[in-house]
Amino acid sequence: MIDLPAAAAAIGLLSGSIHAWLWVVPGLLIGLLFGALPGISVTMALALVLPASLYMDFLPAIIFLTSVYTGAGFGGSIPAVLINIPGTSAAVATTFDGYPMARSGRHNEALGLALVASCIGVLGSYIVLFLTVEPMADIVLRIGPFEMAAIGIWGMVLLGSIGGGSLAKGLFASGLGLLFGMVGMNTAGYMRGDMGIPWLLDGVPTIPAMVGLLAASQLFGLINSRFIVDKAEDRRISIRRILAGGAEALRHPVVLLRGSIIGVVIGAVPGIGASVANLVSYAETRRTAPDRESFGKGNPKGVVASESANSSSEGGSMATMLALGIPGGGATAILLAAFAMHNVVGGPRFMEESRDLVYAIILSNFAQALILLPVGIGFVLVASSVVRLPMRYLIPSVLVLSTMGAFAVEGSIAGPLTLYVFGVLGWLMARFGFPVAAVVVGLLLGRLIETELLRAWQLSGGELARLLDYPWAIGIIVLMLVTLGVSAWKEARRRPA
Amino acid sequence: MCIAWGQALFTTALAGAVLAFLLEARGVSLVADNLLLLQPTAIATLVLWLVILAGCLRPRAVRTADAEAVEAEVAAESPRDLARVLLLVLAFGACIAGLEPLGYDVSFWLFVLAALALGGERNPVALALFPPIFTALLIWGFRALVPYPFPTSLL
Repeated sequence: MIDLPAAAAAIGLLSGSIHAWLWVVPGLLIGLLFGALPGISVTMALALVLPASLYMDFLPAIIFLTSVYTGAGFGGSIPAVLINIPGTSAAVATTFDGYPMARSGRHNEALGLALVASCIGVLGSYIVLFLTVEPMADIVLRIGPFEMAAIGIWGMVLLGSIGGGSLAKGLFASGLGLLFGMVGMNTAGYMRGDMGIPWLLDGVPTIPAMVGLLAASQLFGLINSRFIVDKAEDRRISIRRILAGGAEALRHPVVLLRGSIIGVVIGAVPGIGASVANLVSYAETRRTAPDRESFGKGNPKGVVASESANSSSEGGSMATMLALGIPGGGATAILLAAFAMHNVVGGPRFMEESRDLVYAIILSNFAQALILLPVGIGFVLVASSVVRLPMRYLIPSVLVLSTMGAFAVEGSIAGPLTLYVFGVLGWLMARFGFPVAAVVVGLLLGRLIETELLRAWQLSGGELARLLDYPWAIGIIVLMLVTLGVSAWKEARRRPA
Repeated sequence: MCIAWGQALFTTALAGAVLAFLLEARGVSLVADNLLLLQPTAIATLVLWLVILAGCLRPRAVRTADAEAVEAEVAAESPRDLARVLLLVLAFGACIAGLEPLGYDVSFWLFVLAALALGGERNPVALALFPPIFTALLIWGFRALVPYPFPTSLL
């Protein structure tokens, strides 16, 4: 599976070019910074630095951009842990246990867990990519709308069924999120629920709504607290505890491995990527854990599951991009644009003719994952000081920063308005015991599930029997129904007679 | 019979919005391309509303543990604490509403000042300096980063 002469040529390319390595640390730092800023997505970070790469040679340019990509992948988890704002949509599941860990004074450990899980996720995904870049492309081509819709529904229903204290409330919140995701014009051209507001035709702005639901709603309720972490001794920033958290990640090899595999596979599917991978990995880890009741309350395995999956999805999406020339998402679309700027076209011919470059890109990413560890620790040490800020300063600062982030995503007042409406809704939902995260998941997946279901419906000509031709999709749906049944049964048993 | 009124009313309001969305979507078109996922999701959500409502309306002896926990948490909050949260929500709403007429700079400045005061900051130097300095840094930073123009009055 490995073309050894090409791999040797790749090592030669990398060892002979100091310029390629000069850009790794700046790229990681830029990625960490942009990833940590709410509202600034990985795609936006890459778009902002893309012009700078025009003046570099092809390999240093791609290494610089993939460093930004790798840094942003972990950067998103920092605000997710510290202030419950996922810096990117790929870090949504990191908030579920990362933020409760921070609230209980374990922010150092949570960030260490996230960092090591991210590094291992990136490393694992590129090892998989190094070994299987060609067969992966073949698998990706076999995944159709039936399978994609099934994956989306799976992630959503699993989270709805296990979030919060009540199954009915979890599913209600998921349904609500799914309906929010369907507002506006669908792919068949029907306009629903837009209330005559022009910007709602494109749907509810996802990132502002997500930040409103998860962060603004929490911040409203925290006005009566003095600090994120109550006890003064727990607010200390400790490199020893960050490293201890990192070491703890290694004590969950199954969670790491499962997250990495889920990340690579889902990341490779165009249009799905890291924002779904972290949710599916989290849901699977929670479903199979013996201590599932402690998830959502600060279980380290939740952070490991989410971060290993969102980081490893980078390798998956790179596989699709390199082997097929298809961008799996916005970030890989920018990378393909960088290819084009250097007169290189990604895809099967690039794989065939420039395999040494493909291997050089993959090998440089191994190095990036290893360099991310010390760079990430340094960045985390600075970023963690947020827990020392009094809430009376933190709340207005974060709300205003999020508002600007929401504006930056949409380029209009639509972003801030959405942030506010969903912030208030999230606060009310949390107050009445609804799992707000389930709404976020539904919102993220609603449009995707509807689009894929519509495609599947059109492909089958409206005949349900055609579903039998897609055993993988059926398998996923059966697994989902069994999980749902088990959750309902367990809840019924918990209730007093 | 002891009814969890807050939860019941909130869930009913959400269910009302779901029903309105379903009816509006059905008004657009009844074809599968329009309702394939929307209609079953809306109906399932309405059924779940009935289940949640039943949990809120049962006699205290058989109310679900979840409903009890929510009621206990809400009851533990003092009226003063709740008033502070509501004032913050209103202040943030006013800030968002003022972004275009007042400008992002003035609106943010006033909101940060109000939120600091609500959070208990009484140091006049901090109240005078932090809001304008933070706002200025934010506006200049985002102006450098974001390609879209946004209205400001002073900066």
